[in-house]
Amino acid sequence: MSDVIPRGSNVNAADSGLGLKGLEAVDRQDALPEEPRQNRQSFRRWFVDKGWRHVVAWVAILFALFPLAYILSVSFNPVGTLTGSNALFQRFDLRNYTNLFNNPDVPYGQWYINSLLIAIVTSVFTVLLCALGAYSFSRMRFRGRRFGLVTLLVLQMFPQLLAITAIFLLMIQITDVFPAIGLGTHAGLIMIYLGGALGVNTFLMYGFFNTIPTAIDEAAKIDGAGHARVFFTIMLPLVTPILAVIGLLTFIGIIGEFAIASVILTDPNQQTVAIGLFQLVSGFQSQNWGIFCAGAVLAALPVMVLFLFLQRYIAGGLVSGSVK
Amino acid sequence: MMVNKKGVIGLGALIAGSAMLLAGCAGGGSAGNTDSADGDSTPITVWVDIERKPALEDVAKSFTEDTGIEVKLVTKDFATVDQDFISQVPTGKGPDIIVSPHDKLGSYVSAGVVAPLELGDVADGFAESAMQAMTYDGKVYGVPYSIENVALVRNTDLAPNPATTFDEVIANGKAAGTEYPFLVGLSPEQGDPYHMYPLQTSFGSQVFAQNADGSYDASQLVLGDEAGTAFATWLAGQGAAGTGVFNANIDGDKAREFFLAGKSPYYLTGPWNVPAIKDAGINYAIDPLPSAGGQEAKPFIGVNGFFLSSKSENALAATNFIVNYLSTEDAQMSLYEVGGRPPALTAAYEKAAADDADVAAFGKIGQTGAPMPAIPEMGGVWSDWGNAELSIIKGEGGDPATVWQTAATNIQSKIG
Amino acid sequence: MADVKSAETKAPAAPSAWGDDPFHKPQRRLTSGGLVALLVKVVLLAIIDALTIFAVWVLVAKGDWIAAIVLALVVIGVNFIYIRPGLLPGKYLTPGLAFLAVFQVFVIIYTGYIAFTNAGDQHNSTKEDAIAQIVRTSQERVPDSPEYTVEVYKQADQFGLLVAEPGGDTAFGTSDQALEEASSAPDGWEKLNLSQIVRFQDEILAINVPVSDDINDGTLRTSDGQKAYVYVSSLEYDESADTFTNTETGQVYADDGQGNFRAEDGTTLTPGWRVVVGWQNFAYAFTNEQIRDPLIRVTLWTFFFAAASTFVCFAMGLFLAIVLNHPTLRGKKIYRILVILPYAFPAYLTGLVWAGLFNQEFGFINQVLLGGAQIPWLAEPWLARGVVIFVNMWLGYAYMFLVCTGALQSLPDDIIEAAKVDGAGAWRIFRSVKLPLLFVAVAPLLIATFAYNFNNFGVIYMLTRGNPRFTDTTLDIGATDIMITMVYKVAFGGGGGRDLGLASALSILIFIIVTIVAVISFRQTKALEDLN
Repeated sequence: MSDVIPRGSNVNAADSGLGLKGLEAVDRQDALPEEPRQNRQSFRRWFVDKGWRHVVAWVAILFALFPLAYILSVSFNPVGTLTGSNALFQRFDLRNYTNLFNNPDVPYGQWYINSLLIAIVTSVFTVLLCALGAYSFSRMRFRGRRFGLVTLLVLQMFPQLLAITAIFLLMIQITDVFPAIGLGTHAGLIMIYLGGALGVNTFLMYGFFNTIPTAIDEAAKIDGAGHARVFFTIMLPLVTPILAVIGLLTFIGIIGEFAIASVILTDPNQQTVAIGLFQLVSGFQSQNWGIFCAGAVLAALPVMVLFLFLQRYIAGGLVSGSVK
Repeated sequence: MMVNKKGVIGLGALIAGSAMLLAGCAGGGSAGNTDSADGDSTPITVWVDIERKPALEDVAKSFTEDTGIEVKLVTKDFATVDQDFISQVPTGKGPDIIVSPHDKLGSYVSAGVVAPLELGDVADGFAESAMQAMTYDGKVYGVPYSIENVALVRNTDLAPNPATTFDEVIANGKAAGTEYPFLVGLSPEQGDPYHMYPLQTSFGSQVFAQNADGSYDASQLVLGDEAGTAFATWLAGQGAAGTGVFNANIDGDKAREFFLAGKSPYYLTGPWNVPAIKDAGINYAIDPLPSAGGQEAKPFIGVNGFFLSSKSENALAATNFIVNYLSTEDAQMSLYEVGGRPPALTAAYEKAAADDADVAAFGKIGQTGAPMPAIPEMGGVWSDWGNAELSIIKGEGGDPATVWQTAATNIQSKIG
Repeated sequence: MADVKSAETKAPAAPSAWGDDPFHKPQRRLTSGGLVALLVKVVLLAIIDALTIFAVWVLVAKGDWIAAIVLALVVIGVNFIYIRPGLLPGKYLTPGLAFLAVFQVFVIIYTGYIAFTNAGDQHNSTKEDAIAQIVRTSQERVPDSPEYTVEVYKQADQFGLLVAEPGGDTAFGTSDQALEEASSAPDGWEKLNLSQIVRFQDEILAINVPVSDDINDGTLRTSDGQKAYVYVSSLEYDESADTFTNTETGQVYADDGQGNFRAEDGTTLTPGWRVVVGWQNFAYAFTNEQIRDPLIRVTLWTFFFAAASTFVCFAMGLFLAIVLNHPTLRGKKIYRILVILPYAFPAYLTGLVWAGLFNQEFGFINQVLLGGAQIPWLAEPWLARGVVIFVNMWLGYAYMFLVCTGALQSLPDDIIEAAKVDGAGAWRIFRSVKLPLLFVAVAPLLIATFAYNFNNFGVIYMLTRGNPRFTDTTLDIGATDIMITMVYKVAFGGGGGRDLGLASALSILIFIIVTIVAVISFRQTKALEDLN
């Protein structure tokens, strides 16, 4: 009913015959430990198989990291100008980093905690809301389904430039009734972010749900599981990679989000890293690039940690153990 | 088929937990802006950017000690704080006071978001140009606290003697044998008319004509007059097609870096870069601005001030804070000591100038300057103006006079 | 928020498992899981309902009936969805849709409304506010009048001022009673200290003590409870006629229907206020020839920019994902992290760094990589366009890399194996098997990315601000401007502050264009086709 093979391809996924047993077979080989390289394998074969990948990876990494090297260099330079010098890493001084934590006007530690809190909560709820939506789009048939899918996507295409005015007015109304989720609160900000949770993410998940053969949930239903149980205990584990991807993308997006946050959060102790850092460099004259870059470098760390943590799920394919 | 129940239960617990949290939030109400009736007054909320905030903290503390009224400082992003102020004041959620450079005042007044203030005798204590900057349509709207303008910073090891004309500056700069005879930061995207302005005024060219009281007349854009084209023609001769003194690729960041590295004896900049120059151990002097066109070089003056929101629900306390407190010599001195900007209060300025030669030098130059236009029409000027200067410096777009005229025409059509 | 009621289907005719099946009669099966879930559901609904009752009560107290009714109806609907058996799609979609409706649909509708008003920096409030502000700014201190020191007194709910004139005389007066000489306040009046003054500030600011019986002599007012000045008003507001009259010149300012008080000679009073102006803002976009001519070029470039950015991001992201998607590649984890790092830094910062790298004279690219070339990367129209797309690729490929990495994992192995058995080469497998499968999964995403880039304000603004400028228009529009940056400059960069009405109208137009493109693309890609 919902395979993802486009018409015209001669492969018929509906007949892929993936019963429950087939699931184990879908386990990715990525999970296998790397086999030691065998010396008898000729260099040429190694290069055709893997060597060129290393070369490409290094080129890509150079391309990716080269502008970031500037940022790192500026963060170690107390008189750092952002794009001043092509001689990188002339000085190594941690002053910018210590300033982040010793300057009472820049409560960076507090911002950091706020950012993490907001980003994690938003990501978790985004993944949950999207999964719920995608499940119903993928596995149920109802009037307005296709229209609903397109609408979700189209709504996200509205230029954000003006959204802030309307959101602010709306938040004023909410503040009058529930101050705890209104202006100046993390809860209020998270709610606004969740407003944009559906949309592209739902779509992405919808595609993934469609790749799960319906035979699996049909079988579970015959065994007497309810739709909720099928969803939580069978479907979600099967689409872990995309849950992890969407969680990570949302997390990165929220960590860097600045425009809405700066209007909603006014109390300095409630603010996030993005708002705080922007204030350092938006001044007319004295732009504190050194501290800004140091702050940005530190703000990128949780993304790396999270990616490390999620990599298992993203690249690990299906998680066995959900089904015995 | 066995189904994992843990997932369901865990999720249920999560949802229930978050719901409890939500309920707790909703029931708890918010702390912080409750209005208790027993003499506990609402705090005064001040929006300030991170640069100016440290200067305010001490003053705010002593005001609270004296009056029992709390002052809440909220840091806002300098680039957008004026827009947020205009958007949020009418909703009743804005601050009581905003700390802002005076050139936004026109937008505030035409949006109706600031209230006029009566300073009474207090006004007499301030520098005339500062009061001029706080005045719009004949009414005073703010209390000034600092005056800023650019000057010519000279590396005394490379150029021992001050110069009076721009030609001398260039001659000295060349004699010094450094890579660049003269430095000024220009943005490669949009130019920097602010820094170029003293050179432009030395040709007698301004943006808008001034009325007798020093205010600007929005209906008279004089950018494209003869003096303006004379400046444009001269600028072309100093750009890429001529001597190359002005270089569009040197932005503010690079100009500072080059000066700190001793690559030029001269650097046209403001007091905000002096600390870095000191730190770099450069022996410097602050000279008056050299004249390029024969007349006096007048820089733009930026005046920082405190403005009262027109919808402040704490107007009386806020007015007290602004008019009776921030205008005192102690407060102005303390603002100066933390922020390092020359005070607007004459008595405080004299004190500051007496023990800091840099303040005296910048202040002396500032006395010749004119406040940046605060009329909202100015918003439509910067972009075309800067781009025209940029094209002329790069030697693009043909005849400089034509480029300049085109910019003036475009601005005129924009501001109507 | 899940409905966890177990249901048993009676072998539905269509494989549409659950849906609007009228014959679908669920049977309660009280399994333990069902019980927990049922409990969760009931508790959650109870909490929501309790909060709603509270909110409705607050809204009614505020007199906001419309909001109260809407809220009540919505929550009743939610209860209905979750309590009634069936309606499954509703049960799954409601949580997300609730947020979507509040924070996105409302925003779009509101913007649509703003597009028909004159809202902006100079018209950003109500007429009441505007009148109050005009009255306030029309108060002028009588020239050369002295500064009086005052003490504030209160009796019951009356407030009065004891005034010390510079000569040393004192006088007392209230708003109803003109100033009279007095050595102290009358009996029964109590002097207020500072904290009381602050507490009654609204009343004190409203004190208006006539200096004499002739109102034209002016009135004493205090704005800080310590000093007072004599003011006269230069504008009189006539409520019945809804006009302001200048007391000196006699000029009359009347409501002109455009959100301003305007006099015969066309002068207006500031501030104005917000009014509905109809199609005016939309008309501007089509009638102003300064916009009309460059608009076509900007539109074309916007499409090209969005399409090219999407393509290069996707191509690069997919390529890297495939390269690093090898079961036994050493260092894969590290590679992957380093490759997504660009995405972890604020685009604003990296955008500025790139602008510096492309600097014509000092940038790394010209100076170091190209040995001192003077290529005007950001100043020459086509070069600048290329650079913008290139930098946008750097900023965006990591997103695609992540998505493709995830997508590659879910390709059914057996198909690929089957292709291998059939003797297809790696490239052939990729082209004929992997890519089509991937494409179906990410096609909607590509459309969404296209839309995102269509409105990608940040990258343009950081790198070029839309420059280099077009020379054939008086507006500040340039070769790398896309529609959204053009809107920003036209609506917010003029001489009268920000014009929200115009910006909203242009945004709505952009939204319509993008929507049409998106819907057509969907039709084309058949991404929404049910393929069974």
